[in-house]
Amino acid sequence: MGPLIPNNLIPLEWNSIIAILIGIVFGFVLEASGFSSSRKLAGVFYGYDFAVLKVFFTAAVVSVIGLYYMDYLGYLDITQLYVHPTYLWGAIIGGAIMGVGFVAGGFCPGTSLCAVAIGKLDAWVYVGGILLGIFMFSELFNFIEPIYDGYFLGNITLMDTFSWNPYWFIFIFSIIAIVAFAFSDFVQKKIKKVFY
Amino acid sequence: MTKKQTAKFLNFRYKILALILVVLAGGLVLLPKYQKNEGIKPEQLLANTISLERYISTDQMAHKLISQDPSFILVDVRDENSYNSYTLPNAINIPLKKLLDDESKAYLNQNQFDVVFFSNDHYYADQAWILCNRLGFKNLRVLKGGLNHWFKTIINPPKPTEDMPEEAYSLYDTRKAASMFFGVVYPDQVQSNEVETPKIAPKKIITVKKKKKVAEGGC
Repeated sequence: MGPLIPNNLIPLEWNSIIAILIGIVFGFVLEASGFSSSRKLAGVFYGYDFAVLKVFFTAAVVSVIGLYYMDYLGYLDITQLYVHPTYLWGAIIGGAIMGVGFVAGGFCPGTSLCAVAIGKLDAWVYVGGILLGIFMFSELFNFIEPIYDGYFLGNITLMDTFSWNPYWFIFIFSIIAIVAFAFSDFVQKKIKKVFY
Repeated sequence: MTKKQTAKFLNFRYKILALILVVLAGGLVLLPKYQKNEGIKPEQLLANTISLERYISTDQMAHKLISQDPSFILVDVRDENSYNSYTLPNAINIPLKKLLDDESKAYLNQNQFDVVFFSNDHYYADQAWILCNRLGFKNLRVLKGGLNHWFKTIINPPKPTEDMPEEAYSLYDTRKAASMFFGVVYPDQVQSNEVETPKIAPKKIITVKKKKKVAEGGC
């Protein structure tokens, strides 16, 4: 049956409209749960607020369990889902830069736009930095291109690379998530409370 | 439930949620696995099978070849010997045994060109069609009747008899022209080797009689 759009259960033309609706809801939920505050986001690195870790870990675990149940029951063909292509060194270097930016600025790109929408000045500066970064990247593109296009491994997943059993992987992944939650609660109790 | 009990229960709420997560994830591991069908669904395959678009006639094929239509790939699914002895113009050879090799898939699993399978009859070509269709490859066709029909209709078209309608004659003319394109020579088209020497017309000697001067006018 699913995915709905590739199998023409929803016409392709609805793609952008659905994307906009999901985007609005996503932005609303981000803002409503306080993710437009850079202090909350940076809290995960200083150990006084693990909301980010919990939210994204829970989202990943719940969706992967749900997707595999739907695949098992035949509502969704998991092989038809889009797998983002892996450019190994591009991903590693880009991830490191993004991580530094995350710790230093206290936003990820999505939450920074959320914070821009509610008028936070640090977010304005942050988005300005993003635009500056995009400009620099474009100007240096010829120089960066070998890394950008190189080390291409295809649309691979961990299951393809290590030939793991996905079901066992999901089970172990959820155990890791729960352990991480418990550990983050433990750390949070030890750290001095920060009010923001 | 009193307020106190509710509060006590809610103290455990994260543990309960965590437990639900583990049970659901464990359920995935413990569920009995079953073999899933690869490729498209049986209903889809059936719909493709009875679709009129499955076959391409030899006349259509001849038209495409003559007009040098660039939109298709001809795939000969017979073995290499047969391919070497005769095949259609610009056809590539993918024997049925090598159909699902990676090398062949580059030709078959793409969206740019129509793929037309043919063999001596359309029997093996149909097998190739089913196999590839099942895997979800797009734009696959089969040459109806295969090379045998190609010979019967295009290379050696039957001459219509006199009681046939006019269409049969025009079809015959088209096919005959097509066969000439593919290299068949007809007796009535053969030009004799004799070089026709243009007849030299005997020179006529025209004697021009001098007109006698007639006295002009005069009063």
